Amino acid sequence: MDERWLLSRRKFLHTLAGSGVIAAGDLAWWEAPLLAPRKAFAAEPVRFQFSVPEPTRITLVTSLVQRFNQSQKDFEVKVEFVPQAQARQKLISAVSAGSPPDVCQIWDNWIGQFQGMGAVEDLTSRVKSWKHRDDVQDTAWQTVSAGNAIVSMPLALTLDGIFYRTDRLRELGLKEPTPDWTWDDFLRIAQAFTKASENRYGYGMRGAGTWSVLYPSEFAYANGAAVLKDGKLAINSKEAVDALSWYLDLALKHKVTPPSAATDGFVEIVETFGRGITSMYQHNSGSVGQQKKNVGAANFATVPLPVGPAKKRASFYFSETLTMFKAGRNKEGAWQFVSFMLDDEQSLMYNKTLGLLPPRKSIISKPDFADDPALRGFIASFPFAIVSPYLAYPGWGGRIDSDGVPLIQQAILGKISPQECLDRFAAVLKQEMT
Amino acid sequence: MTTLALGTRRARPLISARTRKLLIGYCYLMPAALCMLATVVVPIGMAIKMSLYNDILYKPQDYRFIGLGNYFRLAADPVFWLSLWNSCVWVFGSVALQFVFGFAAALLLNQAFRGRALVRTLTLLPWIIPGVVVGLIWEWLYQPNYGVINDLLIKAGWLHDRIAWLSTPDLAMAAVVFTNVWRGIPFFTIMLLAGLQAVPAELYEAAHVDGASVFGRFRHITLPLLRPIIVVATATRIIWTFNYADLIFVMTNGGPANATQITSTYTLLQAYSNLDFGYAGALSVVLLLVMLVFTAAYLRITRGVEEIA
Repeated sequence: MDERWLLSRRKFLHTLAGSGVIAAGDLAWWEAPLLAPRKAFAAEPVRFQFSVPEPTRITLVTSLVQRFNQSQKDFEVKVEFVPQAQARQKLISAVSAGSPPDVCQIWDNWIGQFQGMGAVEDLTSRVKSWKHRDDVQDTAWQTVSAGNAIVSMPLALTLDGIFYRTDRLRELGLKEPTPDWTWDDFLRIAQAFTKASENRYGYGMRGAGTWSVLYPSEFAYANGAAVLKDGKLAINSKEAVDALSWYLDLALKHKVTPPSAATDGFVEIVETFGRGITSMYQHNSGSVGQQKKNVGAANFATVPLPVGPAKKRASFYFSETLTMFKAGRNKEGAWQFVSFMLDDEQSLMYNKTLGLLPPRKSIISKPDFADDPALRGFIASFPFAIVSPYLAYPGWGGRIDSDGVPLIQQAILGKISPQECLDRFAAVLKQEMT
Repeated sequence: MTTLALGTRRARPLISARTRKLLIGYCYLMPAALCMLATVVVPIGMAIKMSLYNDILYKPQDYRFIGLGNYFRLAADPVFWLSLWNSCVWVFGSVALQFVFGFAAALLLNQAFRGRALVRTLTLLPWIIPGVVVGLIWEWLYQPNYGVINDLLIKAGWLHDRIAWLSTPDLAMAAVVFTNVWRGIPFFTIMLLAGLQAVPAELYEAAHVDGASVFGRFRHITLPLLRPIIVVATATRIIWTFNYADLIFVMTNGGPANATQITSTYTLLQAYSNLDFGYAGALSVVLLLVMLVFTAAYLRITRGVEEIA
């Protein structure tokens, strides 16, 4: 045998000592994982897709992922930021190709379709032994449940409320709306805010995207209507048509909305409020942070949706979730990461930074949320919050975008009547109920 | 005794020279052909197959062969017919105006003047900017409440009330076409400018000596010599524009009320909102057929490129 390959005792001892030094150094490294970046040579990767509606989230999520990677040695989360507009498309392609990320941040209204595809991991057994299970609000569990199975984890909650300009109200000498204000109060304030010649409007109506259908639906509940009654579709009931009529009149008759209402989406309703063009808009707490920068925390507040003629109201409850997939390659790593994100500090940091509401009772009761006037309207909406009725059937989410949005746009433009709009929408939704 | 060695008869080659030449040619073509097969033919085949199935991703239990079911559904779908009409307006409106303005710009840039190189470079800018960015820029320009266009028109006294360019069904298509024209002009300018520079100056001089007017020289020299480029450039641009969904997707997402819904955005909507890949496949196949028929007709009407060459 070639003697070069034989290990002398001295070489052996050198190697042993060297290995010991490396191991000791590495061990010391792990003892204080947050002090420096971790060496993750042996850590198993966890693919995490995160959709980005605005840049704040990139910094925040990068920081949280780094914390996770430094807090343990077995897994390394690799985050992939995807623009929100392409996130769903990209995820569908990945799921169809059998290569989904291990964990993905998605809204609960998408889960139905992925659940229908048989792609989503059932987390029920993991949740049973999860330490914070009982601390999560029941409604939050409802948003991520399919039958008796929990198929996702709620990262943040949203409820819809009304943003309004407090400084403009003072200018006009009007009283601030109380939490139990009515449709009449809403219209009166919207009209007072509107001065079309000065490019000022009372209400930033949303005409684009999924929520252009959901917002008038919330008003319909205030008129005693419902999307489903006893399991039957009731979206075109008389109460619903009347409510939609009243809602559309804000644009068609009272003209308290900007002329662009039919195509105004999330960006537009937030921007027009931020620029002082509109003085009220309907949205969830997700734009609170942006408005604090745009109009200043002292110049706006939030209030629950107004009470309707039926002395009722509803705010649809949505969850931003962390969802795992059956075909994910690193389920244990994904679960560890999901659990980490829902722990006290991370949950507080994520929701507070983004102006969202944490699903855990012990966190939402902290002063960061409970005492913030900009969040008051949303927290006051919890008693009448309901899980979005559009989560009932997996096909409805897509139908809202493909059929519901063009129909509501036609109605906002006065091209079709509220009755026709809801009748046609009901026919489309009915097809998906089989 | 002397023996005479007779020349042995040369063995006949297994493959004739002609066949060998042909085979070598095919071997050279093979890599490109395989790539085309994998990236074009196979996906088209898969789309055709998909279009014959009820393939809704969230209903895997309903996956089944339905023959021409998706095509019958498509024939009865008013939004499809509207999107097809919108596609025609979008394509022909965009390409015709791009061509006219691009040609005018090419003729101008073919003249000698100071700073021509700089102007030529600047002309390219709209073409260089990615389509999505162009869409976002113009969406903001058109914004009725805080967009520059309305502000300028109001300040100039030409407008009294703000116009919701992208929210008014009658204006939305014109607005997106205008944006596409702005973006596409440089393509025609560069193509036609290259063609203009290849036209021998002697032809113009001879025509000038013969007393031909400016219009006469344009009609009898410039246009015929540029014809191959015009045919190729317009055909290419028409196909691109038919498939080009980015701008509309960003600016209006097909709205308001489907006023700017073209077939490619409608296909995208069916595939990625409704997850109805079977129906989206049928839409893609129809779009492919429309483009094939159109391209064949166009090349026939314009007598193609080879004939001219």
